[in-house]
Amino acid sequence: MSDNLARVFRPNGQDSWAQALPAARSHIEAVAPRAERRARPRIVYALTAGAGMAAIVITQLLLSVGISQGAYEISTLQASQVELGRTAESLSEDLVKVSSPQNLAANAAALGMVSNSTPAYLRLSDGAVLGAPVSATGTPADVRSGASGLVPNALLAGVPLVTDLPPAGAQGTGIGPAGTHGRSADARAAHAPAPAAPATPPSGLPSPSTR
Amino acid sequence: MPLNTGARQTISGRRRMAVTVVVLFAVVGVFVVRLIDIQVVRADTLSADSLGNRSVEQTVYGSRGNILSSDGDVLAGTVMRYDITISPRNAGEFTRTTDAGTVTVTVAQAAAEIGAVTGQTGDEILGIISEALAGDKDSDFAYVDRKVDVEVFREVGDLDIPWIYFKKNPSRVYPNGAVAGNVVGFVSSDGEAQAGLEVGENSCLASTNGVETYEKGADGVRIPGSTVTAEQVVDGGDVVTTIDRDLQWFVQQVLAEQAQATGAAWGTVVVQEVKTGRLLAVADYPSVDPNNVSGTKNPKNRGSRAFTDSFEPGSTFKTLTSASVLDSGKATIKTHVVAPYRYRPVNGANVNDSHRHEDEKLTLTGVMIESSNTGMSKFGELLSDQERYDYMKKFGVGSPTETGFPREDSGILHPYQKWDPQTAYATMFGQGLTTTALQVASMYQTIANDGVRMPVTLVAGCRQADDSVRDKPSSRGRQVISAAAAHDTSDVLENVYANSWVASKWEIPGYRVAAKTGTAQMPNGKGGYSRGYLVSVSGFAPADAPQFVVSVSLADPVKMNTSAASAPIFQKVMSQALKKYRAVPSGTPAPELPANW
Repeated sequence: MSDNLARVFRPNGQDSWAQALPAARSHIEAVAPRAERRARPRIVYALTAGAGMAAIVITQLLLSVGISQGAYEISTLQASQVELGRTAESLSEDLVKVSSPQNLAANAAALGMVSNSTPAYLRLSDGAVLGAPVSATGTPADVRSGASGLVPNALLAGVPLVTDLPPAGAQGTGIGPAGTHGRSADARAAHAPAPAAPATPPSGLPSPSTR
Repeated sequence: MPLNTGARQTISGRRRMAVTVVVLFAVVGVFVVRLIDIQVVRADTLSADSLGNRSVEQTVYGSRGNILSSDGDVLAGTVMRYDITISPRNAGEFTRTTDAGTVTVTVAQAAAEIGAVTGQTGDEILGIISEALAGDKDSDFAYVDRKVDVEVFREVGDLDIPWIYFKKNPSRVYPNGAVAGNVVGFVSSDGEAQAGLEVGENSCLASTNGVETYEKGADGVRIPGSTVTAEQVVDGGDVVTTIDRDLQWFVQQVLAEQAQATGAAWGTVVVQEVKTGRLLAVADYPSVDPNNVSGTKNPKNRGSRAFTDSFEPGSTFKTLTSASVLDSGKATIKTHVVAPYRYRPVNGANVNDSHRHEDEKLTLTGVMIESSNTGMSKFGELLSDQERYDYMKKFGVGSPTETGFPREDSGILHPYQKWDPQTAYATMFGQGLTTTALQVASMYQTIANDGVRMPVTLVAGCRQADDSVRDKPSSRGRQVISAAAAHDTSDVLENVYANSWVASKWEIPGYRVAAKTGTAQMPNGKGGYSRGYLVSVSGFAPADAPQFVVSVSLADPVKMNTSAASAPIFQKVMSQALKKYRAVPSGTPAPELPANW
């Protein structure tokens, strides 16, 4: 645009200059060769400019190819990030669920553990026994883990107890399905169709191997 | 000639120049007008139009804050759930490319496939479609299933059914179920807070959804760097409670076992830390599982009675009267009184004990052990009504505690000027006024803590995203009675613990314990008393260095209508608290005070 303006104005400029110096200078044509010389620029400039433009175009092309390539990559990665985030969330949800006290207590009770309500301590510095030690007695508390427990947790419906799991292959824990209590199986059956419950139960709690 | 020619040339040159300039300015003018029109006048409309063609606006869901136990266990958390929706008018056959080639899937097949994942039958889903179309033949929206988890969402998504859409639906989940369920509360299916801390701490928990727009290419891929956040998403803060999750579970378990064994209508247990006033456990029976609110039929059982219901405390209140009298210096723990079966004070009141007996020569300690109403009246009347009223107010009776729990009850304490003669005496042994379980626990906390009442605390603060904690509660205590009076009261309570008729039921070997039972008639809701009793036990341990207050109330245990029903709960809960927090067993024996003279 500015280039065009310049071209339009240049002849006018000459005109007004010629007008300001009338008669005596009107015949002067000797400038022509200089103008001609100016109008014929060196070829190297044209080449440089052309090459520069080509370089810019190519660079921009490559850049946008690179960016859009990156866009697809980012898009794929973002999609997989979302998926992984969902998996992580769902797993941690399972984790906090099975780490609830109801589940822990139900598993402990299923393994035959009872709580001792009379605490006693052995002081290491002098071997003194503090408190009155009494052995734990009684039957395990009624601690079903599902919605039927005294402190219900609907989320635990369908989560099996350790005693319900099949022995873990050759590395048996010594705790077979023999200890299975009918009630937990019943609880599971009763709550199986609940749509809100996750379809697949987590893989259960690890049980210690003591031999 | 040359001159003439030159002049003509000049004139035509001028004209040419003028025309050129005019045309030029006209063209530039047009461009400028157009430029202003586009860039200034219609700028917003145009850019909105252009964005509308390429940009995608999406809601960014802020997540409601968690409610945490004191150890950071999640009591209430937010998870993403998905609503499966359907476009009934588009529901039709479609083709699916499988390994075996392209197959056509009918609506019935698709419905059966969805149903297999969501646990519905294919017919149910077809029913949803036809029902929606019956209502509106152009129906474009119907729910198939709401709030499904990620696994169902993925499985349904994998079916690649073109007329199935998903909507995000952030939902509330309570991983610990009924543990502290009555305190934590719950939200409606639309996410509106409905009860408990969910309501009380809503200002901390609530989040603000944001909006962001991004531009996409023709193939739906997001154009890098085009994301514009129109509204910033703000996640809610986490409410950190003082609740000990494991202890809370234990307390609820023990309470529920005993309540069922004794046929109680309801019950509460409060465990409070002596030095700080923090509530470690607030258990209610029956409890509510916030994951399954409708599983608790009676709406009254969905709240926390420990906070919202007050009742006449009965004999556990005698501790306050004793402490007041001891603090005033009008009597000591060895002061003698004669406690008859029936006592008629000069003001015209009529006080009697729960069972007939000859006149007994008792000390203050003896009065507390026997839980004699007449004996306590003779101590209480040493103070004026106003003095006793002031003590009660200082102990926190008649005003809600500092927890900020929604709709917390203040209990009923009429101004002493309005006490009739009978009420003036009845208030000495816990009748004629009402207290919540929390207020009773707070009374015992004051006595256990050298007479300094600490604010009752349930919420330790609102934790922000940057881990700073806002709204920290006050931790400044208030001296209610002198330390000496508190110690004397504690000694009396230790003797009650050792000599009470329920001593065998609440014995914790190895520890010194201070406790008092109470049995109070329950109102029948018509201004009179029902036949049921509210049996309670409150106390603290270890008495030589108090750490925990436990306050147990059982309402109408039809199979065992005495404090013997609540004493075993006190024993188990207190043992568990001592064990869990590794309280050192008491090395010294309890002081033995004379009960008779």
